[in-house]
Amino acid sequence: MKSIFKPISRRNFLKAGLKGGAIAATLPVWRLFSFAEPPADFYVNPAVNLSRETLEMLLKAALGHGGEFAEVYVEYTVTNRISLEEDKIYGAGRGVDMGVGIRVLHGEKTGYAYSDDFSLDKLKQTADVAGLIAAAKDIRQPVGLKPSSIPSYYMVKVSPDTIIPEDKAKLLWKANSVGRAYDKRINQVNVGFVDINKKITIANSEGIWAEDFQTITRLAVSIDAIEGEKRSSGYYYKDGTLGYEHYDPKLAEELAREAGRMAIAMLPAEDAPAGEYPIVMAKGHCGTFFHEAIGHSLESDGIRKKTSCFWDKKGEMIASEITSLADDGTVKGARGSVNVDDEGTPGQNTILIENGKCVNFLYDRLNAKLMKANLTGNGRRQSYQHYPIPRMTNTYLLAGKDDPEEILKSVKKGMYIARIGGGNVSWVTGRFVFDVSEGYMIENGKITKPLKGIQLMGSGPEVLKNIVMVGPDLEIKGGGTCGKDGQAKPVSDGNPTLKVSKITIGGARV
Amino acid sequence: MNTKELAEKIVTKGLKSGADEAEVYLESGREFELSVRNGDVETVKQASPKGLGLRIFKDKKLGFTYTSDFSDQALEEFIKKTIQLAQVADPKPWNGLADLENGEAKDLELFDPSIAEIPNEKKIEIARETERIALSSDKRITKTEGGFFGDSETEVVIVNSKGLSLSNKSTGISFGVYVIAGEGDDMQGGGWSSSKRYAKDLDAVENVAKIAAERAVRMLGARPVETQKAPVVFDRYAAGAFWYGILFAIDGDSVYKKTTFLTDYLDKPIASELVTLVDDPTIPRHVSSQPFDGEGTLTRKNVLIDKGVLKVFLYDSLTARKAGVKVNTIARRYGYKSAPSAGFLNIIVQNGDADRQKLISGIKNGFYITGLRGIGTDTPTGTYSCGASGFWIKDGEIAFPVDGVTLGGNALDLLKNIEAAANDLDLRGMLSTPSFKISEMTIGGKR
Repeated sequence: MKSIFKPISRRNFLKAGLKGGAIAATLPVWRLFSFAEPPADFYVNPAVNLSRETLEMLLKAALGHGGEFAEVYVEYTVTNRISLEEDKIYGAGRGVDMGVGIRVLHGEKTGYAYSDDFSLDKLKQTADVAGLIAAAKDIRQPVGLKPSSIPSYYMVKVSPDTIIPEDKAKLLWKANSVGRAYDKRINQVNVGFVDINKKITIANSEGIWAEDFQTITRLAVSIDAIEGEKRSSGYYYKDGTLGYEHYDPKLAEELAREAGRMAIAMLPAEDAPAGEYPIVMAKGHCGTFFHEAIGHSLESDGIRKKTSCFWDKKGEMIASEITSLADDGTVKGARGSVNVDDEGTPGQNTILIENGKCVNFLYDRLNAKLMKANLTGNGRRQSYQHYPIPRMTNTYLLAGKDDPEEILKSVKKGMYIARIGGGNVSWVTGRFVFDVSEGYMIENGKITKPLKGIQLMGSGPEVLKNIVMVGPDLEIKGGGTCGKDGQAKPVSDGNPTLKVSKITIGGARV
Repeated sequence: MNTKELAEKIVTKGLKSGADEAEVYLESGREFELSVRNGDVETVKQASPKGLGLRIFKDKKLGFTYTSDFSDQALEEFIKKTIQLAQVADPKPWNGLADLENGEAKDLELFDPSIAEIPNEKKIEIARETERIALSSDKRITKTEGGFFGDSETEVVIVNSKGLSLSNKSTGISFGVYVIAGEGDDMQGGGWSSSKRYAKDLDAVENVAKIAAERAVRMLGARPVETQKAPVVFDRYAAGAFWYGILFAIDGDSVYKKTTFLTDYLDKPIASELVTLVDDPTIPRHVSSQPFDGEGTLTRKNVLIDKGVLKVFLYDSLTARKAGVKVNTIARRYGYKSAPSAGFLNIIVQNGDADRQKLISGIKNGFYITGLRGIGTDTPTGTYSCGASGFWIKDGEIAFPVDGVTLGGNALDLLKNIEAAANDLDLRGMLSTPSFKISEMTIGGKR
């Protein structure tokens, strides 16, 4: 099962999003023959700076049993966290992950081994173990490494790792005081700031040699409200491949207000009715739906293995004519953006569905090779402990032409989905389920009472045909951590206002 | 590397560098996994990972860090950094290590030395054979996601400045398969696995393969039903998620913060008398057993719900001190990268005395649930809502497979409406439950 993590008591913290979200319309500025460098004062254990000679030696060792392709992935990641709850800074934390993963491909076979020990002997042994997957007489030699040119899709001026935790704490305090003052029914305010600072090096036997420095930041506010027997929660966040210059107390205030607004709005919510209804999805906050319900089924591993419900649908109409879907790793500053993916392929914008027709899939290197397709920059992995698999980056439904007001007016009785929470999908049947964190009844074209416990249930192939109206107001806001095959990866998503003519709603009453 | 000595060294250094209390949780070991698809080896992965988490208390303030970089210089920096980070936090009177207890960690038979001796050829053979049998056991099985095999060896060391010094070695071994039945618009996946501490406890390859195939085939042609209220039977292998929703709602700190719907229910009935739920991580050789928890507290059996009455909330030592309660604490760690937090280790819902088949045959029109999507219970409100698949029951017989429906209700009502529990408990994973029947639930589907 693939799912957007639904963290349990800290649910709202893991869901993360990106505010604003104009999509970069211009071509990226290519910085030829230079690596994305970590900031000068970011400490990297010098052991991870493997020399060209060492990388080439490891690639050679990895091919020593006759493998067709070898790759070395080196990672050094620092994660900083600070959180506030119950009017106190709960704690500050820091983590360091460092290691080398070595992969050898041979036909459809993958050999993988990793090590967190950087001694030359240990690395050589790791390369040898990964190479064992192949047992061929013909030994290939790796091509000499050439530094790759790296595009730049991150928006980082100030590295968050260089900011002392006391400064980050000021953001948390601001959000806390604004959140608590928002309404007297507010009971708890939790605020957290996390930054991930990751230096990766990818070198492969075809001569690719790429380095990237990735920064992902997130400020999240979660608020609980209580009134008599009634309870509710609200949350909001900003995140992305963004430097610390994007965070200030004013932003913290905005996030806290929005989280407070949602908690108070949902306090009087009534049980949702079950059954089939039309729904309207709010712009920006429901993109997870497309990531989950459709995106996973368009990842090339399931296509190649013929286990995805869309495996034989390329070139066919799989959606209504107004439906176009993209996976775009080049959105400036978005959480899922990649200068290069975890195989050294530059991030790309890939149209998956064009006016209803299935036109492409998402590829990593292995599946692209086996399926004779072009790379799309979607070979991603959680860490050096994992081999890459096809994964989404920033996935969104493209803008349409319908007036958002008309979309709402067209629904006599249905639901307005203001924010989608977590969800999951079976890629075999395409069946999905989502919980809705903020939802309302629509009666005669107007948003009326708030509803709790709404679940959206359906299947990707079915729902795609029921997308009947799409607005022009695309926003890429929602983002989070996607789980697949035991690997967690940051992604984001987006959508314009849209209408689905019919979907199964789960609720507590008939 | 002597991991215990390293952990002790870091704790000593932590105190010397100014910490009031220090604790190291260190994991090391080896892991192996392989997958086959259509008979060919597809992936082989192996490694010997390690890592440690350091918790420091300074002036009642908490700092937590982790690293997989064990070089001397890096560790030196790491300790300093952790103490600096602790200074940023606010002091809390309840911060600190768990109290040191008397007694020794029990040998729960969690380590099978023979696993390290299994040759790779044998592992490949198990995965291959499981897949082969699953693919050939029914004509309607058309595709495969592959067979897999994995084994691991882990040593956990926990050392703290109160004098605690514990270590535990354990093994894990598992294999399974996932296959697909059907073609075109009607494809259904089904998988099954066996996961144990000891190699010789593994289920027979044939059984695992046949269950996987059966789980795929039986769902062919699944369809939604109409929206209605009806009695339901939760199958033992599907009901885990339902209980997780309840367990998350009895977190002690959520109670303290009044953010769970079960805040006011201690010592009150929350479920039918048929429900007794325990946390028991002391069962020898069980995959979810462990001799000590994430704070180094020796584990024991705890009754959480007794004949429907909620007996305790879940606390670790910090949240218990904060709430001012004296209870058996249960601290969980999700690996060395996470600090301990209140939780549960091995949940067992006690067997009932009904025959599962009879639960089904007693229903005129209802739903036998064999798959759940989502956790279901919203912690603040107790509203239950999730996706489900299974079989429609008509006049006491399984009539047709169902998918694409939702279940809804209020968690407290559902718990109280459990009117029968089966005697089919099978200890698997970290949550085991018998099948049970709920007298009525809202099923959302067509119209």
